[in-house]
Amino acid sequence: MTLIWIGRVALAVALAALVGGVVDQVVAIRKQRAGQGVWFALGALVGILGAVAAMEVALVSHNFSLAYVAQNNATFTPLLYSITGMWSALEGSLLLWSLLLTLVTLGVIYYYRREASDPVVAWASVVLFGVGAFFTYLLVVPASPFVHNPAHVLQGAGPNALLQNNPLVAVHPPLLYAGFVGFTVPFAFAIAMLVTGRVQDRWQLEQRRWTVLAWGALSLGIVLGAWWSYQVLGWGGFWGWDPVENAALLPWLTATAYIHSVIVQDRRGLFRVWNLSLAIATFSLTVLGTFFTRSGVLQSVHAFSSSTLGPLLIGFFFVCVGAGAGLLAWRGDRLRSAVGVDHPLSREGLFVANNVLFVGFAIVVLLGTVFPLLYQAVNGAQVTVGTPYFASIAAPLSVVLLALMAVAPLVSWRSANAGVLWARLRTSAWVALALVVALVAFGVRRPTVLVAYFLAAGAAGAALRTLRGVVVAAHRRGRLVSALRAPSTGGMVVHLGIVILALGIVTSTSYTTRAEVTLAHGQSTVVSGQYVSFAGFHEVKDALETSTELVVSVGGDQLRPAVTTYNGRNGQTVGTPAIDSNLLRDVYVTFDAVGGNGATSGAQVQNGLPAGSVVLGVTVEPLLAWLWIGGLIVGLGSALSFLRRRYNEETG
Amino acid sequence: MKRTILIASLLVLVLCVALTVFLGTRHPVGDATTVQSPLLGKIAPSVAGTELNGGHFDLHDDLGDIVVVDFWASWCGPCVAEAPNLSTFAWQERHDKVKVIGVVFDDSVSAAKAFQVHYGSLYPSIVDPNGDIANSYGVTSPPTTFIVDGQGRIAATLLGPASTAQLVTAVARVRR
Repeated sequence: MTLIWIGRVALAVALAALVGGVVDQVVAIRKQRAGQGVWFALGALVGILGAVAAMEVALVSHNFSLAYVAQNNATFTPLLYSITGMWSALEGSLLLWSLLLTLVTLGVIYYYRREASDPVVAWASVVLFGVGAFFTYLLVVPASPFVHNPAHVLQGAGPNALLQNNPLVAVHPPLLYAGFVGFTVPFAFAIAMLVTGRVQDRWQLEQRRWTVLAWGALSLGIVLGAWWSYQVLGWGGFWGWDPVENAALLPWLTATAYIHSVIVQDRRGLFRVWNLSLAIATFSLTVLGTFFTRSGVLQSVHAFSSSTLGPLLIGFFFVCVGAGAGLLAWRGDRLRSAVGVDHPLSREGLFVANNVLFVGFAIVVLLGTVFPLLYQAVNGAQVTVGTPYFASIAAPLSVVLLALMAVAPLVSWRSANAGVLWARLRTSAWVALALVVALVAFGVRRPTVLVAYFLAAGAAGAALRTLRGVVVAAHRRGRLVSALRAPSTGGMVVHLGIVILALGIVTSTSYTTRAEVTLAHGQSTVVSGQYVSFAGFHEVKDALETSTELVVSVGGDQLRPAVTTYNGRNGQTVGTPAIDSNLLRDVYVTFDAVGGNGATSGAQVQNGLPAGSVVLGVTVEPLLAWLWIGGLIVGLGSALSFLRRRYNEETG
Repeated sequence: MKRTILIASLLVLVLCVALTVFLGTRHPVGDATTVQSPLLGKIAPSVAGTELNGGHFDLHDDLGDIVVVDFWASWCGPCVAEAPNLSTFAWQERHDKVKVIGVVFDDSVSAAKAFQVHYGSLYPSIVDPNGDIANSYGVTSPPTTFIVDGQGRIAATLLGPASTAQLVTAVARVRR
């Protein structure tokens, strides 16, 4: 009971501090002085931290007098999954969201504390406090995590089975949320610039740094999410175009467009309206995504169950878009840029192409996500827009994007000179061609794969060439370390990561072989070049789970695919695949069926199969590990890009 | 320039209002509801066919067991939500003379197979190519679940995505 009151009071304190922050900033703007933003943000953070601490103490000590703990924890839940239990359901995940948002708010306000009297900073603080107050209000009234559970619970239900068998659950959601929450900052500054009318200032360029940080966190969050679903529920797949995945992808696409087109504003002063619109759209899409995942209107493998939050979130989405569009219309006259794109094939021209592709793709994904609801409203019947729709657009788009990555970093600003371009492109083009010839010689015949490898080699060549230029320049200045903070280093490292990731996706999806084999105890066979043998059953029974494992060896390495039932009131059963992974290929083994009458306990019982023998699903996916390696390199690149020097630092 | 921005902003606003009103009035998808089907208490129509994994299934062979017949399709959203519940239920009841059989209708075999693999289904499913089985059960939209008792009579009908608890309760009621 005490914890419930501590939590509620702490949340009330946080809400009061956030609302106080809004009022304080507005008063400060009217009186043209600096507000006390840092203190209000600190107060809010203390409040939220108090609530988080109360929740974590309750979870770790299995205090079932909290309804949230009784539903998402059990006496036998291990410590790690007790801690991560905070974000395994709706209310707690909103608490994590608020925690990250107040952290970001405090960070930004503290970073700009010396400019606190600048109206742009003050208005941005108003927006940050306002957004924080909205999400904290959700925790105080409609989705309170601190609800008393009057029933006497002995054991607790335990977290969802899928949320307690892989440690990635500890990093994937926080990173994803950090990305979502981080987009509040460019949104806040976009609104502030429009309100004050100071759209020509450096603030927009200043925002790229924060956006890159959020983008990097979101990218890592998405890749780790794919990795997790690959290991836990994908049964061989890593992306399913599920509404929740799309909800994360939508802001990622518009943010990617934004961090590219801001470079053009930086160098050429173009695209001001467009960049402000992208900043507003990115944040609005994170709110829309939150609506999709928390309102329960869309069916998804990991949507949170229905709640009363739907109308509030969609209303907030409307406020964000409405405010942004209204302000843009009002301030339209100040946004005109003096110059235009000189040549469609100049660097800025290619940035336009990049933006059209990313934003177009975002619209396509949004349509595909909302379409089932529209169709149901009109026809009453249910449809699912599945992988074929999204993949048919994603594949050609990725090809064009790879081509842009191969060419754009080498093209000059303002003009397009074919001779200069070819001189820069020559080496990587020949290497790419040689690679394709080698692949054909090795028996690769699929045109899509050959095209992808050709363009990927070109893109890697363009990135490496730019990086070499940076290193040479740094070497000449005698400070090689300074190359790490050069303006283009981070971006080009991200490009290299994307190239590796793309090769992983193309190769694994094109050359996956799937087979089912029936093996009796002690038997072995060769599947898709892999030596697979079955050595018997292994039963695991402990406080947490009851599991039937198969002892399988793949090329000498032991694997244990299993079917596992987690204890607890609603003990869920999941099939747990086992993966043998190296740089060249992944072998993914699943326990598909067991023979006999099921008395030996197995998965799906298949008639007509001798007792004691099992059906194994064996999937071999080449280069799959490249996906995760590429994803980590993207994260590294964004970190470098966050730390980079400004252009004026460079010249000045 | 100002005019273009004004028109574009207004357009975005109108679209946003439409989207907000539309999404704000959607209802959350709930659990299955038990319905009064005219088939209740009658002998269950025949369910027989080739399983997705190649085996053969015939409802008639399972007389004496309780059989949960679930009509589904890979394109159906609620079926996605229901699949793990059915798997869990099938696994929990595997020693208790309860059998779960899926019937795929209005769908392609390859999509259904991919669905089964993707969601790691722990129960077999048969193909209903012309929708004959679905017609004989009066099924119009998936997922619909029928519970057939040991005498081969339909004992309960669930419309919408069934939860594990609902299935357990329904089967316990049939046992009594």
